[in-house]
Amino acid sequence: MEKLLEMARKAAGQAEVFSAEQTSSSVSFQDAKLYDLKTNFLSGVSLRIIKDGKLGFAYTRNLTDRQGLLDNALHSLRGEVEADYDLPDSRGSQDLITYDPGTAKLTNKELVGEAKRVCEILKTRAAGEIMAGAYASVDSLRILNSRGVDLSQRNSQAGSYSSIIFPGSGSGISRQTQGLEMEKMPEALISEMADLFKQGQKTVQPKGGRMKVLFMPDSMITLLWRISSGLNGRSVYEKVSPNSARLGQRIFSPKLTIFDDPLNDAYPGARAWDDEGMPCQKLPLVERGVLKAFFYDLKYAKKLGTVSTGHGYRGDIWGGDPVTVKPGPFLGHLFIEPGPASLAKLISLMDRGIIMEGAMGAHSGNIPNGDYSIGISPGLYVENGQIVGQVKGAMAAGNIYETLANVVEVGDTLYPSFEGARVPPLLCEGVSVTTKA
Amino acid sequence: MFDKLEKILAGAKADYIDIRYEEVRETAIGYSGKELTALSANSSDGFVVRVLDKGGMASVAFTRPEEAGAAVRSAVENAALFSRNMEKPVRLAEAPVIRDTIAPKMAEDPRGITMEEKVELLKKYNNIPLVQPKVVTTSIAYSEVYRKKYYLNSQGSRIQEDLITTGIRGMITAGEGSLTQNIRVGIGGSDGFGAIRGQERHFEEKTKLVLDLLSAEPVKSGTYSCIINPSLAGVFAHEAFGHFSEADIVETLPAMRKRMTLGTKLGNGILNIIDDATRPGQLGFYKYDDEGVAVRPVQLIKDGVLAGRLHSRRTAAEFGEPLSGHCVAEDYRYAPIVRMGTIYIQPGGKGFDELLQGMGDGLYLLDAKGGQTSGENFTFGANYGYQVRQGKIGRLVRDINISGNLYQTLMDISAVGNDLKLSQVGGCGKGQSNIRSCNGGPHIIIDKLIVGGI
Repeated sequence: MEKLLEMARKAAGQAEVFSAEQTSSSVSFQDAKLYDLKTNFLSGVSLRIIKDGKLGFAYTRNLTDRQGLLDNALHSLRGEVEADYDLPDSRGSQDLITYDPGTAKLTNKELVGEAKRVCEILKTRAAGEIMAGAYASVDSLRILNSRGVDLSQRNSQAGSYSSIIFPGSGSGISRQTQGLEMEKMPEALISEMADLFKQGQKTVQPKGGRMKVLFMPDSMITLLWRISSGLNGRSVYEKVSPNSARLGQRIFSPKLTIFDDPLNDAYPGARAWDDEGMPCQKLPLVERGVLKAFFYDLKYAKKLGTVSTGHGYRGDIWGGDPVTVKPGPFLGHLFIEPGPASLAKLISLMDRGIIMEGAMGAHSGNIPNGDYSIGISPGLYVENGQIVGQVKGAMAAGNIYETLANVVEVGDTLYPSFEGARVPPLLCEGVSVTTKA
Repeated sequence: MFDKLEKILAGAKADYIDIRYEEVRETAIGYSGKELTALSANSSDGFVVRVLDKGGMASVAFTRPEEAGAAVRSAVENAALFSRNMEKPVRLAEAPVIRDTIAPKMAEDPRGITMEEKVELLKKYNNIPLVQPKVVTTSIAYSEVYRKKYYLNSQGSRIQEDLITTGIRGMITAGEGSLTQNIRVGIGGSDGFGAIRGQERHFEEKTKLVLDLLSAEPVKSGTYSCIINPSLAGVFAHEAFGHFSEADIVETLPAMRKRMTLGTKLGNGILNIIDDATRPGQLGFYKYDDEGVAVRPVQLIKDGVLAGRLHSRRTAAEFGEPLSGHCVAEDYRYAPIVRMGTIYIQPGGKGFDELLQGMGDGLYLLDAKGGQTSGENFTFGANYGYQVRQGKIGRLVRDINISGNLYQTLMDISAVGNDLKLSQVGGCGKGQSNIRSCNGGPHIIIDKLIVGGI
């Protein structure tokens, strides 16, 4: 890698070499039976160069031909993709615990054991179709650049997930755990799934209208994508974020505090620096409803005359392979501050509404603008604080800047949600729900 | 290459083993507004090995040739672990041994076209919306993915097939005051660069539409009779129904599997759905899947009755149904899973005007904007639509997402048009993505659809 960096520096001026290696294993049980066992050994090297304000980019899985890779990056300079920013020269790096050696030693037998254990418990608790799985992954990242940055980090993550599917419907109640080391599915989470499942046995056909909606971890993606998009420096630059002129203004309910915290190593995936080598920081985004900051990578920070907040990642809301994707602004460690209410309390606050366990179509619609229009599947209908059954074929629609202005209460427990986000359940009111009744 | 692959498997002892090596060459050019934001052409490669032994099955993907030994060992160990923990052995349906080499037939090979020409063409299309003052931004990308695949199995098959997918896709965003609207664009296919030349009209039409949407009314939520256009009909066929014709989905959902027994009446008698990746000149074309089985057309619904299913060798054995050649991987990072190839609603006899007259009042919805299924329920977006009163197309409406129940909706399809059209760009994400996922249909009428506005 050093040799490649030196060659690239000589040829281009600024250069960055990024490498990623990952070993992961996963097992899945379907209908409570072992279905799939997979292992992956993926690695690769990616080269970014900046010459006369233009960007070159190339990658490979096997660094056998350094000159070939460099030529490829030099060739791509001809497109004249603008890069008027400088690579960072940051040396400092926080001391984070991101790796547990136990995870590297975790055997597939242990993964099978955990998934089987969860299946066995759920089989005795719920008459649904049971899916479960467990995984373990170990990876290392390294960034070298021509301004002296040489950072590396080893990460581990392991976890367990399961779903109880309502027979015949194909949709169900799901929960997951994540840790640096194998985080077994706790009893409380298993009970929560089983209880919600039981209460959704009966199908009900309530009338639509404005009502309360309780966003659960699997449907929170609807809100999180739109929050991320609206706070993204790129959306501001492209003038598609409605928040551009709202810094310091109230955009959400005072009950909502949202921040990004890559440095919190109580959770897997903590980062001391981003994929561009910028130091990470805890970034308050929304404090008690007031917009505090946007997040940036090097490129969009420069365009908007500010500095990168350390959010240049090689991936986006669609995932992406760190070796083949160029860095862009991304919130990878989003937290919503938990509130005072237990799940039971939240449900008791619902005179009429739906507990949304899953959302369909969260990825369509005018995301930067905050609009959503989603199918609720599954959804549990609540009346007078009691779950009365499952509602099928209902839709919820709105705009997050209205929905999140109407937060009734925030849950007290953080759940892992998509792409590293940790969020509590959120109870909102006045959400427009359409049903077939 | 096949000798190399043989060598990798040489020491492994198993009832069955296969290996796939792929080189993927991706060319990407992207514009964000006026700015060129991406330009690169890169190759990457890797291997996938699958092992079946004593009923236990496992797979491994790896990218470093020097790790081949460890990778194969881990797959063999995992298969043994599977075997010790299984309730029922995995079997693979018998498949013919095939030795073949397939190169795609293309109007114009994109690999022979210079990067400069590709950039020029993309820039020309991108400028069509950008000259309009109300267009806030565009996000338009050219993508060319060349998969060179070598497949070998312990039963003697050796297949080399090349797949080249070319496309331009993206989004145009227009804004006025605090309102923004966007519309998707997409052209391309699997038959070469010719498919994306001379497509100015596509970008002109989409630009006009996104500007018109700024003054359109949001649709009023409710239940409507709807005519949906071929793009939406295709997404319906794919999302709402198609995933349940993928055998690996229903295999482990006992209640759904029972409901999807072949011979069950699922839809209105006028409804016919087929998956036919063998049709030449369309996005989803391929000859062999990623376990070396030749793909064949599968009639999925015949006159409203469930008639067939899409299979891997594993699911074909499990269901005791014929092989179909639908076990496909995104690339060398993944073991293959059951995927649709080219699914479409087969055309009926009615012209578009006849459909309009027949429906009377309702909505005419056009162009898919993403879709998703969660079990029997589906949701997908329509880019735009029109009110229909007494068979006449009226005002433009926006912000449309529709939702429904699969079984109910199959019954509610009350008329099928005669104008079949297939999609030119794809992207189905079922754990891994499939950029050649193709779908389509004619215009159809669905009697009751839930439409969620804002």
